[in-house]
Amino acid sequence: MTQLFLIAFRNLLSHGRRTLFLGGAIAGVTTLLVFLGCLSSGVKQTMLESALTVATGDMNVGGYYKVTAGQSAPLVTDYKKIQDIVEKTLPDIDFVTARGRGWARLVSDQNSMQVGIAGVDMAHEPRLPKVLKMKEGKVADLAKPGNVLIFESQAKKLKVKTGDSMVFSVLTDRGVNNTVDVRVCGVAEDMGLLTSWNVFLPQETLNKLDQTNDTTTGALLIYLKNRGRIPKDMDLLRKTLTGAGYDVVDRSSKAFWIKMQEVSKEEWTGQKLDITSWDDEISYVTWTLSAIDGLSFLLTSVLLVIIAVGIMNSLWIAIRERTREIGTLRAIGMRRRLVMLMFIMEAFCLGVMGTALGAVLGSLLAVILNAVQVPVPTGAQFFTMSSTLKFALEPARILGSMAVITLCCTVVSMIPSLKAARMKPVTAISHVG
Amino acid sequence: MSDNFQGEIMKSQNPFYHRVNGVTQSKAKDLIGFVFLKNRTLFTLCNSVFQILFISVLTLTPAGLFAQTLGHDKMVDILKGIDLRIRSGGDYKALVYLEQHQKDKPDIAQEALVYRRDIDQKLMILFTKPKTDAGKGYLRVDRNLWYYDPSVGKWERRTDRERIGGTDSDREDFDQSNLAEQYDPQFVGEEKLGSFTVWHLKLTVKSGIDVAYPLVEFWVDEATGNYLKRQDFALSGRLMRTSYDPKWDKLYSDAKKDYLWFPHEIHIYDEIDKGNSTLVIIQSVDLSTLPENMFTKAWLETKSR
Repeated sequence: MTQLFLIAFRNLLSHGRRTLFLGGAIAGVTTLLVFLGCLSSGVKQTMLESALTVATGDMNVGGYYKVTAGQSAPLVTDYKKIQDIVEKTLPDIDFVTARGRGWARLVSDQNSMQVGIAGVDMAHEPRLPKVLKMKEGKVADLAKPGNVLIFESQAKKLKVKTGDSMVFSVLTDRGVNNTVDVRVCGVAEDMGLLTSWNVFLPQETLNKLDQTNDTTTGALLIYLKNRGRIPKDMDLLRKTLTGAGYDVVDRSSKAFWIKMQEVSKEEWTGQKLDITSWDDEISYVTWTLSAIDGLSFLLTSVLLVIIAVGIMNSLWIAIRERTREIGTLRAIGMRRRLVMLMFIMEAFCLGVMGTALGAVLGSLLAVILNAVQVPVPTGAQFFTMSSTLKFALEPARILGSMAVITLCCTVVSMIPSLKAARMKPVTAISHVG
Repeated sequence: MSDNFQGEIMKSQNPFYHRVNGVTQSKAKDLIGFVFLKNRTLFTLCNSVFQILFISVLTLTPAGLFAQTLGHDKMVDILKGIDLRIRSGGDYKALVYLEQHQKDKPDIAQEALVYRRDIDQKLMILFTKPKTDAGKGYLRVDRNLWYYDPSVGKWERRTDRERIGGTDSDREDFDQSNLAEQYDPQFVGEEKLGSFTVWHLKLTVKSGIDVAYPLVEFWVDEATGNYLKRQDFALSGRLMRTSYDPKWDKLYSDAKKDYLWFPHEIHIYDEIDKGNSTLVIIQSVDLSTLPENMFTKAWLETKSR
């Protein structure tokens, strides 16, 4: 086998131009695949990070409360009882926090915008101070009622800074107009698309705005030690809550506010709970990941076909050039299988070298662009989930890309290799060309 | 419309107007304080009981005078009058022009047909212009407001207090009113609004009743009984919007056997998002009987095609 490898390697070296051309093409495709893979991973990481900060826990127990059939609100009443059940049922909870959910018009002296509100109780939010990177002010000030924490892009739009006053204006669930005056206690760095419309408000202030009492919240956000347990934990929690007499809506991979429109059309009144995972809550943006992955697949497939044709052609040429050599090898006793393996090995070596180079180049490009922090136009931020291009290097994904391309190179080399192996020694030796 | 009243509307477009008004009010408070201090020097020898009595009399006198001018029953009658004037005994159809001005955005103009059958509390709004909005509509069924968008072909249940067509107007601006049933009136004073002499009433929502604005202030023309100005306050007490109804028209209704009054123009100013305003012009009103099966989703869908 070592000899075969050496023959293949030397052969690649002896045909430098051809090897460089084909290896370069393989490296180029790998670079592209690795680069797009890093982008997809970067978007996914940003999405997950911002979602877990702003909108969701690893799992959530949310719910809908309907006073009348036509009016529904994202509320969980008497949530402490449910929190007890959750904490007793799930074995690997990191922590559970109650978050209010709401929408309102946020008005500054200069501008206004519609925002989603996360009502927080800072005493039970251990994650928030760690993950929010503040541009101005302090996260801890969110503990004081009447303060609001906004994000950089919102501050820019509303033309406000820490200490400025604003007004939240809302139509409560009972259809009464209400307002609450707030002060900006901090401006945090943007964390992707989700932070362009979400703000943090103390739960007490949100209750005052929405006219709800302190036994009511929007959802229980459950953070787990092991995210791999989510499907099992969701089933377990569903059974337990149903057993405890709670109405739980059927599983649907949609964000709570999308489901709320459907719930509003239903005729029931009262409380129903909804158990969701983090990816359900941001399902409306995960299509961007599918789009990036789809684009990667399409581009890579097209390029791989071109490379495959190139490899086959070059092997045809190699076989033609080395027909007498094949004949001699067969005449001195080399088996057909080994002849075939010799050519396959050549394509394999070319694949490994090309993809290795491509992986290095792709990773290097991702690292450089990460360091440069390339700004993304506002329109494209819907895809990238961030104001700057972010790439994440996932070794498994990079190795996977290398393996796929090398495998393709190897597989396509089998056809010409098989032809070489089938040559009769006499014919091959007497071949002139 | 008198020039003075027009001026009042123009003033209201100035975001500083209410602050100016606020300063005027605080000056008035200062004046009371000045009188109080002067009185204190005059009556330094009097005992504290006398002083308290004096202050109470000084403070309560205007209210007492006004209370004599307009009692609770009279105020309820005024509200009932407003409700009755707006209410149509039969059917109602109006062509309405809506113009929305938004800060830093281009103006939006829309035209809609408003259909009402007040006896059954039915209301339908069908947008006719511009082309992009034509066919969209609202239908009130019981306490639910349904919205239809022909481009989607679906009905959506919306809140009864929805901003109509994205403007500052809401369903109540086009519908009959129930002020006397929903609110408790309180007399603020007799005032001048431009050249009009008006009663200034403060209405607080009765307990157990859900309304969009729990506190409303009305300026009712003494001569005609029509309200000329209205301010809507949020539950927090913050002023949300001010509207002016400077021109009222009337039309004889055979079904009602009386005149139906309607504001020809409504100028609505967003007091939270300063700079946003809406102009509603009720261009023509027709009180002829409408088809029986009009107030249905099917009818609106047919018209939307």
